[in-house]
Amino acid sequence: MAKEGDMSLFNDVLEPFRRVINTDPPKDKLSASAKLNFSDSNQSIKEVFRSGKRKSTLGTTDLGTPEKRIRSDSTSNTASVPPSPWEAKRLKIDLIAAKAQITKLEARVNHQHTIRKEMQILFEEEKASLIEQHKRDERALSDMEERLQLIRRREQELKDEYNEAIKQHKESKIKWDKDKIELQKQIAELKDKLLEANVSSKDQISEMKKDMDELLQALEGAQQEVEILKKEVTRQTSRAEQCTTLRTQFEKQTFELQQLTNKLKELEYERDSYKDWQQQAKTAQKRLTNMAELEKEVVRLRATERNLRDAVCNKLLLEEQVHLLSTKVETLQPLQQELHEATVKIAALESSLEEWKTAAHNHGIETARALSSALDSAFSGQLNAVAGCTEAQSLLAQLKEEVATLKFERDKATTKLTDLQTVRKNQESLIHRLQKRLLLVTRERDSYRQQLDSYEKELTVSLSGDVAGGAGGAALLAARVQQLEKSLQAHRDLLAAHDSEPRDRALEIARAEANKYRDEAETAKREAAKLRVQRDQLQAHLEKIAAPTKVLHLADNPAAAAQKQMQVDLKSAQEEIKKLKAALREGGSRACPEEMQQLKTQLENSRIKLQRMKEEFTSSAQEYRDVCYMLLGYKIDRTGHKNYRISNMYAESSDEYLTFTLCDDGIEMVHTDYSASLGELVELHLHHHRSIPVFLSALTMELFTRTTMQQEVTSEEC
Amino acid sequence: MSQQQTKNCITLRGSAQIICEYLKFAMNAVLFQRGLYPPETFKTAQQYGINLFLSDDPQIKDFLKNLLTQSEEWILNKKVSKLSLIILNVANKEVLECWDFNVQYEEGDVELSKEKNDTVGSKDLKKIQQEIRDVMLQVAATISYLPFLDCRCSFDVLVHAKTDCDIPEKWAEAEPVAITNAQNIQLKSFSTSLHKMETVVSFKLVD
Repeated sequence: MAKEGDMSLFNDVLEPFRRVINTDPPKDKLSASAKLNFSDSNQSIKEVFRSGKRKSTLGTTDLGTPEKRIRSDSTSNTASVPPSPWEAKRLKIDLIAAKAQITKLEARVNHQHTIRKEMQILFEEEKASLIEQHKRDERALSDMEERLQLIRRREQELKDEYNEAIKQHKESKIKWDKDKIELQKQIAELKDKLLEANVSSKDQISEMKKDMDELLQALEGAQQEVEILKKEVTRQTSRAEQCTTLRTQFEKQTFELQQLTNKLKELEYERDSYKDWQQQAKTAQKRLTNMAELEKEVVRLRATERNLRDAVCNKLLLEEQVHLLSTKVETLQPLQQELHEATVKIAALESSLEEWKTAAHNHGIETARALSSALDSAFSGQLNAVAGCTEAQSLLAQLKEEVATLKFERDKATTKLTDLQTVRKNQESLIHRLQKRLLLVTRERDSYRQQLDSYEKELTVSLSGDVAGGAGGAALLAARVQQLEKSLQAHRDLLAAHDSEPRDRALEIARAEANKYRDEAETAKREAAKLRVQRDQLQAHLEKIAAPTKVLHLADNPAAAAQKQMQVDLKSAQEEIKKLKAALREGGSRACPEEMQQLKTQLENSRIKLQRMKEEFTSSAQEYRDVCYMLLGYKIDRTGHKNYRISNMYAESSDEYLTFTLCDDGIEMVHTDYSASLGELVELHLHHHRSIPVFLSALTMELFTRTTMQQEVTSEEC
Repeated sequence: MSQQQTKNCITLRGSAQIICEYLKFAMNAVLFQRGLYPPETFKTAQQYGINLFLSDDPQIKDFLKNLLTQSEEWILNKKVSKLSLIILNVANKEVLECWDFNVQYEEGDVELSKEKNDTVGSKDLKKIQQEIRDVMLQVAATISYLPFLDCRCSFDVLVHAKTDCDIPEKWAEAEPVAITNAQNIQLKSFSTSLHKMETVVSFKLVD
């Protein structure tokens, strides 16, 4: 144990050296020794464990803090170098105490460790919580920042809005100021106007007052005039009364005068009648002397009258007789006619009888019986003849039938004949064509022959030409050319004949065929239509026969409904047409009644306006005329185109007027009865002064003076 | 489909219903194809595997319903030989077109009939529908050669019934129609094995 403890001490002592020499080269040894030491110390500790509990606790502490112990050991080791038992004991005690202390300390250390650990745990927990809180705080912070930003933004927006509002406010303020100024200006203007209006109204009022004063004055003047006029009127009325009294007196006198004259006339009339009576008395006396003669005459006249009455009676009788006779004659006239006719008939009958008789004589029959027998025999003969006739007729019928059959046969034959004829014609045409062709062929042959000849000749000519030379060569060539031309012509004719004729004929034939086929097609079509109709009919019939059916349908089918609708539509359309026609006849006045009304009102308005204007015009014209009359003393009337009649205010009668005509070079006076009486004035003013106004004024003056003079005269008379 | 069918077994009533259904669609198709009514009054319906047009006009619907319910009864009793849809000019009542639907009565499956104690057919329904579809397609194709109807037209359906047939209420006897210079075109026919339906269109040939 001691050894080991020593070893450990030794190790402890060596420790600082090792630390010093830790970096030296023999590292391996030292490290190995160190390792060994460690293992040894471990072993020692293990043994300590085995020795007691304390040691075990020490062992554990040894693991935890080896350095500390080592240090304390090293210090103790350095102090006691010579080991004595006591010392050893004390050392041991110390050691134990130290160890105890160590254990205590270690326990404390441990405790501290645990505390530390706990604290650490606590701190860590706290830290985690703090971190969490920190994170939360951070989050909150960020949120807050965001919110802050939002708020800032909002603030900014609000600021902008505020600025805008201010701007608007300013603008509106400016505007309002302008408006205000304008309004103030207007107010000022209006005030000015008001003032002006006040002034003007004042002026007007003053004017009106003046006018009123004037008017009042005028009224007063007028009233005065009225009074004067009234006085005048009273005077005039008194005068008038005087006049009337005078007039009545005058009338009475005239009446008396008339009465007297009437009486005078009556007396004169009586006197005349008396004279007449005297004359009549004289004539009556003369007549009385002639009375006897007259009576004689009366007797004579009565006799004549009687005679005349008798004659009248006779005449009436005669008339009756005449009437009767005339009726008789009328009845007799037809009888006479009949008589005439009868005589004529008798004559005719006699002549015919005579003829009969002569005929009978000729046949050798003398009597009527013989005639009847002859007639009987004749009848029998006739009967025989009739029988013969019927036989003959039957024969005729037979013959007719035969004839008909023969005719039929003949028709057949004729048709055959026509067919044959057509065939013959065809054949003839063919023959003709063949003949032509033959002709053509012969011509061709001839031409070829000629050609051949010419060739031969040529051959001979060329042969002979070579022999004979140029003398006869030219003539021969000319002849050859002629021949060749002839042959060419012949060829051409041939060609033409070949070409034209057959083509035309073929065309004609084709056309005829086409026409024929067309007709056939037409007839076939017609037949087809007919047959179709027949087929349809037959089919319907067949169907009916095959399956006797009856056809049913719903009563209210769409077709019926459509038809009804159609009829309704038709009716409504016709009615509408009628309406429209009626409207058209009325002149389309219904077309736009509003416009019509408008136009009517317009017309009415314009009429009223025209009427008013006319009235205005007439009134103003009248006024103008009145004014002219009043101012100038002449009434001017227009009597026609460029003709004016003027009459003076002071004229004595309406006959006194002058007429003027408007000419190109001024105005001229026309001669009137009145103008003739104004010779002096005309002479002086028109001829001398050449001024119508002067003439007229002079006339006015004269008339005025005349009237005043008259008035004066009348007043004087009164 | 309302006809009873078990193991390709079609009863007489079912067959008549098929016929009437075909008639409904065919007549509607004719009305649509020939332009008797404006196209907007038609709505499409899926039938026989193709889109077909049915009139939405209440009057036409009512008319066809009345017609076909009665016709079904008659076909069931073998009273009808032909139904004719005639298209006529409203103005002068001239018949311009005639669609004849000839009905022929067939035996059906005799053995099966004996078995069931009722006249039944054994034709496959799909095959029947296929045949009907072919006819409908032909009807739709007629527009290419039928003359253009350029006047105000309307239609009527005439039922050629047997003479011993009673005239029900709302029905009346009509005159048989004939088209002058008519051209007939026979469309495909189909059969339910109990009824055979021939469709013929005849129209006035314009030369």
